[in-house]
Amino acid sequence: MISRSALSRGSQQALRRAGAAKTVQRAFAAAASEKASYEPTTIAGLKVASRDDHGPVTRLAVVAKAGTRYEPLPGLTVGLEEFAFKNTQKRSALRITRESELLGGQLSSYHTREGLVLQANFLREDLPYFAELLGEVVSETKYTTHEFHEEVEGVIRQKQAKIGNDGVALDAAHAVAFHTGLGNPLYPTPETPVGSYLNEHNVAAFAEAAYTKANIAVVADGASQGGLEKWLEPFFKKVPAQSEGKLSTDAAKYHGGESRIARNGLNSVVIAFPGTALGASSPETAVLIGLLGGESTVKWSPGFSVLSKITAANPGAQAKAANYAYSDCGLFTVQVTGTGSAVSKATQETVKALQSIAEGKVAKEDVVKAIAKAKFNLLSASETSGTGLVHAGASLIGGVKPLQVAEVLKSLESVTADKLTAAAKTLLQGKASVASVGDLHALPFAEDLGLKV
Amino acid sequence: MASQVAKQATRQPWYQAGLQKMASIYVNLAGYRKMGLKTDDLISEEDEQVLTALKRLPPQVQYDRVYRIRRATQLSLQHKLLPKNEWIKDEEDEPYLSPILAQVKAEAKERAALDTLAPIKRH
Repeated sequence: MISRSALSRGSQQALRRAGAAKTVQRAFAAAASEKASYEPTTIAGLKVASRDDHGPVTRLAVVAKAGTRYEPLPGLTVGLEEFAFKNTQKRSALRITRESELLGGQLSSYHTREGLVLQANFLREDLPYFAELLGEVVSETKYTTHEFHEEVEGVIRQKQAKIGNDGVALDAAHAVAFHTGLGNPLYPTPETPVGSYLNEHNVAAFAEAAYTKANIAVVADGASQGGLEKWLEPFFKKVPAQSEGKLSTDAAKYHGGESRIARNGLNSVVIAFPGTALGASSPETAVLIGLLGGESTVKWSPGFSVLSKITAANPGAQAKAANYAYSDCGLFTVQVTGTGSAVSKATQETVKALQSIAEGKVAKEDVVKAIAKAKFNLLSASETSGTGLVHAGASLIGGVKPLQVAEVLKSLESVTADKLTAAAKTLLQGKASVASVGDLHALPFAEDLGLKV
Repeated sequence: MASQVAKQATRQPWYQAGLQKMASIYVNLAGYRKMGLKTDDLISEEDEQVLTALKRLPPQVQYDRVYRIRRATQLSLQHKLLPKNEWIKDEEDEPYLSPILAQVKAEAKERAALDTLAPIKRH
């Protein structure tokens, strides 16, 4: 009853599938070594970092030395970020949006403390269009008055309204740690008086200073080297090599101290210490973050890291350890956010936990777990989320060697309990930067926590 | 018709000079300069695009425009003209609004064109 062709079709499909699986497997095996790290090159005087996994999607980004650290006046980075993909000499903002919609691309602009990122995600074959677009945005944006009033200001106000107390606390910790430069807030709060500085003329002047070949890097994920060489040269021709405009580039110096800000909403405490800079080899910090952890990696369980145990004991509080790496310094932070007195208790217990690590009370299997977590953090950041792209760009503009994943992975394995103890000890012996935001009646002072400020 | 006249005018200087003369006679007869108004003050405000263009003017220009219009209204009520030395001169009557209005109209036209386009597939 069953026709012969139907039978053979099934077997054909099965064969084809097996074959496909084989080729896919081979592709993955080949890509694993290629995809690992961004390779820095120079194309027509432009710093470029690229890696190619031969996938169908390309991410192309311009990372400029225009983060809040380098802004000469407050608020300009935010202004420049919102002016990305607005009217240029050649076409209107609307045309840019509609054209990239038709090609199925995504355009975004965002900033960190050091870099301003203009990013385009698109199908591999559309590289010429988006290379031209990014080159045009960088060198030919008009910075018109009416766009500033009609579009930029409104968006900035909306984003300001979203800033939570955790963001304010992190900014305050940076401010006491670094004062100027890196101490500038990541996003000016509605209370920050930027009105007299933030206008289209200052933004245009800042763009002229920041968008030069010396100050930008192009990062490509999933574009062929040949394509980049062919298209970046003509489309970034108009970007000047140097500019007379100045960025504020003071070397970062760690100060430390305490800052307390009364605000409505959640309570947030940041305890910060000098951390690891971009490109610096310090596997202990990464493993210490893995050990402290905080964010649960499994569903329905708070997790078993040091901070997870503390937050499980203090419901309502959330804690997280992180290292903010910059080109010449870093900030190691533990942030506790939540409601009421739970934050206060969790903070005290966090400091005690750090002290007990410094005293050498670290179990061997915890170190193994922490190393595994640190490895996962490193790989997931460089592979799946977009942070690898930003890091590669920040390394290039900061003059630091881009992250070499294989090397760092090896160094993580060499971390022992003794090294962790030593690292924690140096952290606690140095000056801390503590920021408390929220209900100050409930939040402890740094000295009461047992920290030096 | 108008574009043909303009083309002719740019080609022949004598033609342009004649037109210029006729235009100045027309403006003089229309009389708005004697009331202290510029040509762009006569553009009707009751239009979304004009309102957008007005918002884009620098504050000083906006203020001056309102001042001229109020002065003209007052003169109209009083059935008076400005003293001759305060009449708007040829060189003062620059188009301050129409370039912005043209830009706003171009934006609206582009938006309409882009919002109704039909993509053609490559294959």
